[in-house]
Amino acid sequence: METTEILQNVNKIFIEVLDNDSILLKRETTAEDVEEWDSLTHIQLIVAIEKHFKIRFTSAEIQSWKNVGEMCDAIQGRLETHGKG
Amino acid sequence: MWAKCATRFRGDWKLMEKGDTFHHRFDVTENVYCGFILLFEDRNPLHCDESFAMQKGFKHVVVHGNILNGFLSHFIGECLPLKNVIIHSQEIRYHAPVYLNEVLDFHAVVSNTSESVNAVEFKYYFENQAKAKVARGKIQIGII
Repeated sequence: METTEILQNVNKIFIEVLDNDSILLKRETTAEDVEEWDSLTHIQLIVAIEKHFKIRFTSAEIQSWKNVGEMCDAIQGRLETHGKG
Repeated sequence: MWAKCATRFRGDWKLMEKGDTFHHRFDVTENVYCGFILLFEDRNPLHCDESFAMQKGFKHVVVHGNILNGFLSHFIGECLPLKNVIIHSQEIRYHAPVYLNEVLDFHAVVSNTSESVNAVEFKYYFENQAKAKVARGKIQIGII
């Protein structure tokens, strides 16, 4: 799966979890850019992303991401590792 | 900053693994019913007027659906193998009325765990003595 397709999927998850149709994620997007993205919804987002892509992250890698783009890269890496890419 | 939170892994989530099941029995007593009315002052006739409830097709007054949410709170707070938990979200769907003095069997199963954010999700249902599922839903908790 290409990074752009992953970003589109992640965008849909954000819209659903945060209940905000106007969300348009870019690779540079951070929590500061999305009003509804707080500490609790962050957990909901990660759980939803793990479920959607059938992958698992570690807490260390989640905390290492600086923006949505790095998260998408991590998803892509996981998918390739598991032969879903 | 990437996100406005920092999660810490403590390993407690291993106490609950996907597929683990939990059971508890809840009595819909007069104390619970009256306590709920006293606290929240919902005296809608469906809950308090027997003739009104029967006119609407119910056998008796229907107890407040949110009493079941109180039972969920008891389950999360008191029935799990660890106490350092917090509810992130919960949903409930009602399928059948619950009446005073009924006994509800509560069944929950761990449906998902996420070590990365210390989250555990349960699917649950409440069943009455006639084995009818009166409500079901999902709860997600965090291990703090």
